[in-house]
Amino acid sequence: MKSAGFIVAIDNYLVRAGMVSLLNKMHQVRVLREFGAVEPMIRFTQKNPGHFLVIGQSLFNKAGELFLSAPGLLDRTILIADPAREMKNKEVHASILPDDSKPEITSKIVALINMQGIDREGDPSEMLTQREITIVKLVSLGMTNRQIADKLFLSTHTVITHRKNIISKLGIKSVSGLTVYAIVNNIITIEEVTSKP
Amino acid sequence: MITRNTSMCRALLENLQLLPLIPRFNMKLGFGEMTVEQVCMAYAVEVDFFLEIANAYLDESYVPGEELSLIPLSTVVNYLTTTHSYYLETALPEVEQNIFQLLERSDLSSREAALVTDFFNDYKKEFMEHLSEEEQHVLPYILELERQSALEQPDADFLKRLQRYSIREFEKGHDRLETSLENLSRLIIKYLPPCDDFQLCQQVLNQLSALVKDLVDHADMEDKILIPRVAELEQAMLRTFSDR
Repeated sequence: MKSAGFIVAIDNYLVRAGMVSLLNKMHQVRVLREFGAVEPMIRFTQKNPGHFLVIGQSLFNKAGELFLSAPGLLDRTILIADPAREMKNKEVHASILPDDSKPEITSKIVALINMQGIDREGDPSEMLTQREITIVKLVSLGMTNRQIADKLFLSTHTVITHRKNIISKLGIKSVSGLTVYAIVNNIITIEEVTSKP
Repeated sequence: MITRNTSMCRALLENLQLLPLIPRFNMKLGFGEMTVEQVCMAYAVEVDFFLEIANAYLDESYVPGEELSLIPLSTVVNYLTTTHSYYLETALPEVEQNIFQLLERSDLSSREAALVTDFFNDYKKEFMEHLSEEEQHVLPYILELERQSALEQPDADFLKRLQRYSIREFEKGHDRLETSLENLSRLIIKYLPPCDDFQLCQQVLNQLSALVKDLVDHADMEDKILIPRVAELEQAMLRTFSDR
């Protein structure tokens, strides 16, 4: 399932809780983490790039270094603007104002997601590792866990763990489902599958 | 957006994609001049619930209103169950029939055809297991939870069970059913060798895309509306009764 991962960073508890609650009700949106302070948010963002950010004005003003170190993040950011505070001059994708109505807020969020597109880069949890891709390929070629383990010099137990992780990332359980996934994602060609011995 | 005063006829004419909802609410066509509210009253359907479902179905950015938290869980469960029957009795067999026709008419090698056939059969099996797990365990549990929560003194065994099991466990293992169907559409468009019957291809792709959209909506309804409410009710019951 593709969904847009959001981080919510707002120091005001009520505003943050309200924002998280609204995002959680929206389609294809997931709140990855919420933060009330800048430092832990910056650490998290540097380790987990590619997400969307909703940030309050005061944290935004303190988070200058973050935006320098994370290219493209400003384009994925919505600012909850506080007109009473000094506004640091940065170009965010959109701003939510205190008296915005619910539809105004949700349409800004949806516009942001649509503009950026939800893709697999945006959701690290759904990306397969190189090792997992290799295993998907071998499964698609009809190999058993035992055969895969021998070929890759792993224990069967490790192969099974990889396969469990693949299932939870892709939501695809069956061999035939993985085969079709591998074909449409260019992991393997349809000829390789259909000409297998 | 559809409101309670919208004419049902107009609502459907302008949004034909809402048609599959009609039988799920046990409604029948022939609405005359009735508004959405009047139709709902005539069929004993909670109008707020109908509106939430219809609007969420039409607009991906629609966010459920607070009214939804007042709808009895049994109503939501009932809707989910009729939706399941629609998938099993109508949507899936239709797609299946057309896909097998498509395979017959295209000049696929037997191995390519086997790939698609296996894929669809495995998918169908997973789909049915998913639905039957919900119908045999999860939905009855929710109904029981709602019934017990209305009692002055809930059943002791039920409370014990509540301390061990939460709906959140079901949520963890709740797979999405639409991913594989999307891959199937991609496979048809990208790779399957030409089939002369373009109309049939188009029909299959349309059916797949409608089913995918419906499944996304259905899963969102479970994950975003049903599960949070059930979890809240579980917590409330545990708070009230665990020290007695």
